[in-house]
Amino acid sequence: MDGSNVTTSLAQPMQVNGLSKSYGPVKVIEKLDMHVDPGDFVCIVGPSGAGKTTLLRCLSGLMPATSGEVRVGGKVLTEPLAEIGVVFQDYRGSLMPWMRTLDNVAFPLQGRGVPKAEREERARKCLADVGLENAAHQYPWELSGGMQQRVAIARALAYDAHILLMDEPFGSLDAQTKMGLEDLVLDLRRRLKISVIVVTHDIDEAVYLADRVVVLSGKPSTIVDTVDVDLGPERDQIRTKSDPKFFEYRNRVMDHIMR
Amino acid sequence: MAKSPHKAALRAHAFRGFLMAWWLPVLAVVAWYVLSDSSTSFYFPPLSKILAVLWRDLTDGPLLGYMFVSLSNMAVGLALAILIGVGTGLYIGDHAKVRQAAMPMLNFLRSVPPAAIVPIVIIALGIGAAPKIFIIAFTCLWPILLNTIDGVRGMPEELSDTARAFRIPRGLTYRRVLLMASLPQIMAGIRVAIAVALVLMVISEFFGASAGLGFYINENKQRFAMVETWAGTILIGVLGYVLSAVFLQIERVTLRWYFREAGAQTG
Repeated sequence: MDGSNVTTSLAQPMQVNGLSKSYGPVKVIEKLDMHVDPGDFVCIVGPSGAGKTTLLRCLSGLMPATSGEVRVGGKVLTEPLAEIGVVFQDYRGSLMPWMRTLDNVAFPLQGRGVPKAEREERARKCLADVGLENAAHQYPWELSGGMQQRVAIARALAYDAHILLMDEPFGSLDAQTKMGLEDLVLDLRRRLKISVIVVTHDIDEAVYLADRVVVLSGKPSTIVDTVDVDLGPERDQIRTKSDPKFFEYRNRVMDHIMR
Repeated sequence: MAKSPHKAALRAHAFRGFLMAWWLPVLAVVAWYVLSDSSTSFYFPPLSKILAVLWRDLTDGPLLGYMFVSLSNMAVGLALAILIGVGTGLYIGDHAKVRQAAMPMLNFLRSVPPAAIVPIVIIALGIGAAPKIFIIAFTCLWPILLNTIDGVRGMPEELSDTARAFRIPRGLTYRRVLLMASLPQIMAGIRVAIAVALVLMVISEFFGASAGLGFYINENKQRFAMVETWAGTILIGVLGYVLSAVFLQIERVTLRWYFREAGAQTG
């Protein structure tokens, strides 16, 4: 693994200890342990209906665990933190259609009391980070799905989050847009030295992106395998995906999921 | 190059729309004017006479002042209803437990026919503007309040999750998320409320009033001054039309994002 991340990343480490979540009698997550070191790229994959979104809601502090805990930088997570930026699955629902792109990105900073000029400048910079400097004055619904998801990413970045938490972020995009966004997120991780956690059902995507793939079982979700992906820090849609090691990792993960 | 023929086509289209919307009302007024011109019926005086009296009482009579009295009652009542309805509606919509406790009572209060409370309110609040404003506000409150509650409840969960995940403070969440997300429903509620307010504005002036459009109609009716009664009625009809047309424009501007978003998703 790329050990240099640990020393240069600004992110706090995340530690999940014995996390369980149930809705009434229904167990969704069972005694889950994992950790995300600063600068790590971790993908969580599992069969559909495995409670991935529930897990993400627990990791983001939106939902309390039934038992166990999530620690961020040593502190137990009890509510959403400024350290964590969330990118939701449904970008159409998570961007405010009455706000222009710039305002959507700057809105969380308004909540923090950042003066208007300053937050707009920061939003502009983050829009540039995701390649959308020219879309500042458009409304989200004037943008394509891929661009909307870029706005959602820019919003999480503007918020100053060092841990990017993404729920099936590219699930509803076409293949080409999806590849572009995957590489964008890899690039952001490298440039901004953030940690990224992606919850996905897409095995290829998980292996392509991650330093570590956490494989969940079906309900109740437990970790059945953790795969350290040794494909180097630089990934390439064609070369990485034709590397024999890529197939090895992919088959190992798939073996768990299909079982 | 291709732009100006396109514009011309748009203008022609708009003109056709205008004709389609207006030919029937214009025809009806003209027919009324012509057909009633020789009328000798006491109850259906000629439109020409009605309009003449309307003009006389507007320019040289009490009608303009009455209109001001009535409209200001309506404006104050409606404003109160919007303020209270939207404020409490956002709160109730956002709190499931409060909603459970409050809904049965709200549904009861909403189903009290507004005209039925007029006598009680006038006895309780006396004559003057207060009871009229109260009646208008009370009646307008329900469509606005209930629509606001529905609007908040219909908001996508991702939006409230987003507000929470980004630690947006409560006040700001109410103002820029809940309020905006339910604005289409709120505006629909206000549209209903305006129609209701107009009715209550008139009815509330039938009792214990000494000014206002309702008073004007009612008083002339009691004097069997049919032409004046007709004049007042027509004025209120026109007023209602103008108010709803103005509101439609306000709605178009404030909800531009909403209509255009809907258009972007279907088209």
